[in-house]
Amino acid sequence: MTPLEILTAAIRGESAPRIPIFCNLLDQGARELGMGQRDYYRRGEQVAEGQLRMNRRYGYDNLWSLFYVGKEAEFFGCREILFADDGSPNVADFVVKEWDDIARLELPEDITRHPAWEESATCLKILRAEAGETHPICAYLTASTSLPALLMGMERWLELLLTGPADLRDHLLTLCSDFFRQQVAAYRAAGANVLLYSTPFSTPYFIGKQRFERFAMPWMERDLAPGGVEGIVYYCGMAPFNEVIPQVIEQLGIGIHYLSPLADLAEAKGSIEQRLVGQNRLTCGVIDDIQLIRWNREQIRAEVQRICQIGIPGGRPGSHFLFGTGVMPMAIPEPNIRLLLEAAFEFGRVS
Amino acid sequence: MIAEILKAYNEAVFETDKEAAFEVVEAALAAGLRAEEVVFKVVIPAVEEMMSSITKDPDANLAQHFMTAQIAAEVTERMLQRFAHPPAILGRVVIGTAAGDLHSLGKRIVMGCLKALMVEVVDLGVNVPAERFVEAALEHDAQVIAVSAMMVHTATSEQGARAVRRILDERGLSNRIKLVVGGAPYRFDNELYKIVGGDGWAADGITAGRIIIHLIRDVKSEQNGQNEQNKQHEEREHDPA
Repeated sequence: MTPLEILTAAIRGESAPRIPIFCNLLDQGARELGMGQRDYYRRGEQVAEGQLRMNRRYGYDNLWSLFYVGKEAEFFGCREILFADDGSPNVADFVVKEWDDIARLELPEDITRHPAWEESATCLKILRAEAGETHPICAYLTASTSLPALLMGMERWLELLLTGPADLRDHLLTLCSDFFRQQVAAYRAAGANVLLYSTPFSTPYFIGKQRFERFAMPWMERDLAPGGVEGIVYYCGMAPFNEVIPQVIEQLGIGIHYLSPLADLAEAKGSIEQRLVGQNRLTCGVIDDIQLIRWNREQIRAEVQRICQIGIPGGRPGSHFLFGTGVMPMAIPEPNIRLLLEAAFEFGRVS
Repeated sequence: MIAEILKAYNEAVFETDKEAAFEVVEAALAAGLRAEEVVFKVVIPAVEEMMSSITKDPDANLAQHFMTAQIAAEVTERMLQRFAHPPAILGRVVIGTAAGDLHSLGKRIVMGCLKALMVEVVDLGVNVPAERFVEAALEHDAQVIAVSAMMVHTATSEQGARAVRRILDERGLSNRIKLVVGGAPYRFDNELYKIVGGDGWAADGITAGRIIIHLIRDVKSEQNGQNEQNKQHEEREHDPA
């Protein structure tokens, strides 16, 4: 079976020789090509090549079209990204420095004609041509409630969200939601089929459960309404969200959940299973990959085994489970990446 | 009366309602409470309440931490102008984000919390070189350097907290200035703070206040002990017997 078929089987609960294994080696692509990150992320061809090489080297299932998280801010006028050759790039130029700047923000009429899209489109085209038939192609899309953090910083966004004028906040969120709608349609059209809906500000960890229900949920419904939830993966940037899984399933209709390593995996899986009996669904158990920087072989294997035992009890088929990582830090030693994936392929076997 | 005011203030903070919190404070002042009482009997106990609720209440969240700290800092700042005498300062902290890190939310929560707890805070901003942390700590006679890092590479970098540790050690300042670290990577690996040379860490901005105050007290008690030893030494030297 191809990785794409294995993923589809996992979502449908059909039999497959193993569970899908996702590994997110983004910035490592630059190192693989012997380039600094600033140069690497300049060209879509390079990002595609870096991702294809990482995938071939380790044999995991997914391919990423993501450059870096702050790229979305470039559509709104961000001109400076702080690159580091040992870690992920940061937004260095917030386009909203004062609340008054929000009124001046402009959303491109068609994001696929914006220069920021051009290289992403090139990357996607190559990935689709090289592996689109066999591998899931992932795209990263920031939800309307979290995108403002890339435009004004987490601190200013939280301040506006909690204490600012509601009309200004809603204007910003409308722009961000309209951007999301355009972006998700563009990624789908370009061949991405795993759409990571990144929504850390829509978690109880950030804003509490009441605000999640009253504030975040309506905006998420707005984000997702036109395009539906086909291929959408609920992801909260490593923040736990077990307690809102029922609402995410029932109100948004999302059945694929990429969990926090800090979450109670068994509880989350139980919650998803209970609400989607007989339906497509997927619980993505995520390892705490920061620990991989210093864990030894035994520790890595024990943790992968623990996660897989919860995800595929008794190694039975049809477990609706995926093993995944966070954004693997550059500091993880190469042998540990190998150990991780060897263990995932071993313990992820289904009998 | 204080109990009722504290309850109303806590409710406002819990609901992250800044205006309601200020209304409680104004009403308390109008009812005859002194500015000192507002800070020491309402604001500080509320921050302490939030510190303990974080571990007990599953719904304590970042928005509440943020608003608790902001409201507490703003109320304290307003009340300090009305104090009959300037309050005793517990100590001084130099704070900033690690070199290469531009995330300031956690730092701001810690700062708000510390200000309300009568700790002077010197904010060095974001993307701060290690040398600058140490220079500023010496310049302001700070007991603690607090380095915030939101990303793994900025938390573990040789230019971040590790470099601050190295400079403190090389210059023999480790007893005089303590190093505390915080940010997301430390929540995912609770031993990471030791690896980068931190004397302490906190899982969130509010409890960071508690850790920092402990470290300030440690430094001061060590300094007092040292001063006492020096004094006894001097006395022995001047004692002809």
